[in-house]
Amino acid sequence: MSVRPEEITVVPRGPEPGGKGGAYRAFGETLRGLRTTMSQMFTKPVTIQYPEEKTPVYPRFRGRHRLHRFEDTGLEKCVGCSLCAAACPAQCIRVVAAENDPENRVSAGERYAAVYEINLARCIFCGYCELACPFDAITMGHDYEMADYNRSDLIFTKEMLLAEPIERAPLRREGE
Amino acid sequence: MPRTQPNRITLTIDGREIEADEGTMLVDAAREGDVEIPVFCYEPKLGEPVGACRMCLVEIEGIPKLQTSCSTPVRDGMVVHTRTDQVKEAQESVVEFLLVNHPLDCPVCDKGGECPLQDISMGWGPDRNRMVDQKRHFEKPVPLSPLVAIDRERCILCYRCVRFSQEVSEDEQLQLLERGDATFVGTFDDRPYIAPFQGNITELCPVGALTSYTYRFRARPWDIEQGGSVCTLCPSQCNVSFTVRDEQVARVLARDNPEVDDGWLCDKGRYAFQAMYADDRVLGPEVTSDGHSTPASWQEAEETAAEGLASAGSRTAILVGDASNEEGYLLQRILRQALGSGDIDSRRGPGVDGDAALKLADPAISAQTSDIDTADLVIVVGTDPIQSAPSFDLRVRKAVRRNGTALAVASDRPGALEGGATEVVRFPPGGAPAFLEELAGKVKRGRAKTGLAGLIADSEQTVIVWGERIVQGAGGRAAVEALVELSEAAGLADQEGSGLIGIPDNANGRGLREVGCLPDAGPGLSPTGPGRDAGAIREGLESGELEAVVLFGVDPIRDLPDPEGWRRALEAAGHVVAFSLARNESTEFADVLLPLESHAEKDGTVTHPDGRIQRVRPSARRPGEVRPVWQVLTELAAMLGSSTGITSTPEALEAVASAVPFYAGLTDSEIGGRGVRWQERPAAKDLGTPSPDLTLYATAPGPFSPLGSGAAGLEADEASVLEPASGVGRSHTDSSGGTTPPSSVSDLPTPKDGQLLLGTYPNLWADQVVESSPALRFLVPAQRLEISGPDATRLGLSTGDEVSVRSGEESVNARVAVRAAMPEGACFLIEGTPADNGNRVAGEDGGPTLVEIGPPEVRLELVTSGGGPEGDEAA
Repeated sequence: MSVRPEEITVVPRGPEPGGKGGAYRAFGETLRGLRTTMSQMFTKPVTIQYPEEKTPVYPRFRGRHRLHRFEDTGLEKCVGCSLCAAACPAQCIRVVAAENDPENRVSAGERYAAVYEINLARCIFCGYCELACPFDAITMGHDYEMADYNRSDLIFTKEMLLAEPIERAPLRREGE
Repeated sequence: MPRTQPNRITLTIDGREIEADEGTMLVDAAREGDVEIPVFCYEPKLGEPVGACRMCLVEIEGIPKLQTSCSTPVRDGMVVHTRTDQVKEAQESVVEFLLVNHPLDCPVCDKGGECPLQDISMGWGPDRNRMVDQKRHFEKPVPLSPLVAIDRERCILCYRCVRFSQEVSEDEQLQLLERGDATFVGTFDDRPYIAPFQGNITELCPVGALTSYTYRFRARPWDIEQGGSVCTLCPSQCNVSFTVRDEQVARVLARDNPEVDDGWLCDKGRYAFQAMYADDRVLGPEVTSDGHSTPASWQEAEETAAEGLASAGSRTAILVGDASNEEGYLLQRILRQALGSGDIDSRRGPGVDGDAALKLADPAISAQTSDIDTADLVIVVGTDPIQSAPSFDLRVRKAVRRNGTALAVASDRPGALEGGATEVVRFPPGGAPAFLEELAGKVKRGRAKTGLAGLIADSEQTVIVWGERIVQGAGGRAAVEALVELSEAAGLADQEGSGLIGIPDNANGRGLREVGCLPDAGPGLSPTGPGRDAGAIREGLESGELEAVVLFGVDPIRDLPDPEGWRRALEAAGHVVAFSLARNESTEFADVLLPLESHAEKDGTVTHPDGRIQRVRPSARRPGEVRPVWQVLTELAAMLGSSTGITSTPEALEAVASAVPFYAGLTDSEIGGRGVRWQERPAAKDLGTPSPDLTLYATAPGPFSPLGSGAAGLEADEASVLEPASGVGRSHTDSSGGTTPPSSVSDLPTPKDGQLLLGTYPNLWADQVVESSPALRFLVPAQRLEISGPDATRLGLSTGDEVSVRSGEESVNARVAVRAAMPEGACFLIEGTPADNGNRVAGEDGGPTLVEIGPPEVRLELVTSGGGPEGDEAA
């Protein structure tokens, strides 16, 4: 079988060790790599000094949930329909609804959530609850600091979810 | 008319060949062939289709216009299309029209997630609504009744609830008011809808317009689990499905079983689940020492109970009320095998004894519940099903309305079914035996052309529904003979679908009899030596001949005749072991109080009045310390020295099946979800064969008869004392020997001047579970004295007067209710009311008695709160 000329691939090889080529390999390439390192010494560090500094989050970041009230009436937006619980793939939401007392309303509709609990130890922060909610009563907030010493402390009740959270995490600015 | 086998025909739906019975509606045939046609108003349980909602329109080849498939019967060779453009357009329009006035508040609506309108809108509706105008508005939600809320904005006017009220329960209270788009469902003059079956409308409603107050906003379909079981609150034993959330029952739904309940449920069965979580529920074992009842461990409680029973030995008696077959079997086995006594009773008074039960259980003369549907003639004797077994009431109404069945009602007290009856016979309280004898005689002679006997002669398929009350009391034995004679004369045995259905007093009365909870019959109705019946047990306890008593799911001070006697008896008893669901007057006397499981927690079997063995299955968690009762009973048996070897519920059923010859080979899987009638199993031929268990009892330390030798632990003189005492219980056993002719029925007491003959009747709502259920509390009856018009005039009484009813030393206060159609010279009181219990003045054996009516007694009421000056002021 003969080899045709176009089938021959010439493999270029580096300079032989020793001599000029050897010196380049030892120092030149090293210096070339160090150039990146050296240039970084004169730019601002990207390290965030957590926990003194917080990582800024994107507006659509899915952190700890929040429940909302109507701004004008102060009534809870949640009517306890349980759709969030149905949508939840981790089954971490428990809703027990009850009937509103017209004298002492909790929510706008006939029913309200007497119990609303999210087990954050189970939550996978998928945001399906937010999607399922027909009243925009539950949204994913920006809070991501939820570590605790106790599993049961990770069950957030309605009062905890309704409370105005301490905004620890800054929002990422445009273009940041 | 006997059931006929319909022809099978073939039709084509959407290109599929489908086989169906001739005459079925197209929509049902399609469902059989896995083609779904959406429907709103169609519900076969409600009777004839009305074609009101137009949701089920389909195209049938050869008919130019679309047809409603719910009201079009199938024909051979029919070609149907359900997915053409024309059909699709029609379906979308119907949904769009329905949504014109329907508020889209699904997240708030209680039906959300289990709503047919939601499903159909998603499946067959257009994806958007063009409605931009105001929808109609009503005040909402408003109470339609104390149990049901109505939201008229959500109503789509499918007529289902109205049809139920008009054509099924026939209370005729729900109406469609106004016309056109102003139409709404309501009652005349906005009166509350009070009817014993109203809960069914919440289940029928295809939208969230009718909701139960007990379940409003409690849970969503994805929060819950459904557990099928059987309701054991009355002998109807309707099939139910418990909605369980967080391991607690939140709702009770009907579970369709055409052979038992037809898919309906009464309000007691639907709402009395609340009693399971009431404050008066016994949550753990308690032992009384020094007059104080204190919670105890199961070990301690069982040991104390066993110790007391062992020391009483054969001087122990057992009263059984609400129990499953397994529990009843274990109880009688403990008594007969370990304690050597035979004093066990599951009845209110002397009634159907072993021998009578055996005669009446003959499969040839037994009908099944669904036979009522097709019968030519239904005779209801001595019972008012609405009070004693409500689903039978609907069943009979259905037969009369849809099948043209002739109905004859023969009773002492005017009942609810009489409105639709062809023939009504009234006899005085206790007069049933005489009536039956006369009827049997007439039918036998066969010359009657008119009246009830004429109806029987004309009818091919006859079903006789009789209440256990007619075989109780003085003429009971004669009544049984007459019933058997009547069924022979009427030829019930020869005609398929004819027969007797006996409605017992107890929810599982039939099952308890068949597993041996009778003083004179062991498992399988095999005769044993006579023991004491309930009345004789009371006397025995009072006189000290009996020392210990086990009360199982029964509150004798409330449920049985002579409550004062029972109070004395329990006080005199040396050792009282009470198994009870809830605290009551009788449990106050308990030395050991053990909790029972409710019917949502129990695992066992029960026997329907028509012989259908059904499974009660656990679906909710047992609260507190409550344990499976069969376990407790097997442990007690082992402590008393007769180990049963039962370690699981299937084994418990196996033990019952091997002890009762005609239950032989019964297993859980054979019973399944729908139950199985033992009369239809091959083992039914063993009816009357002695139970193999009897050998066990024969080797027990003492014979069953308290009259037996000294081995029973009785002194000779004691035995002679006992004879008259237990005479009440013994009289029927004697009469079966032929000493008393059955024609003792004419021995009814004759009222003297100013006296009336008192009969008592069970009221569906006079029950502790009703009082313990907040939703039903408004139905708890106050005592009322039903009296005929002429008697009222003679005594100068009118409806609403307060009177006292006196019999001997006992008297109760009641309000007078003058009723038409009452037998003259008779009056009626309710049994088991919380105050002024009619049982107090009833005859000692629960039969009729003579009473005098007088001015109301001044009641000395205990002022429980505070007392002293405040108490005086209140008085």
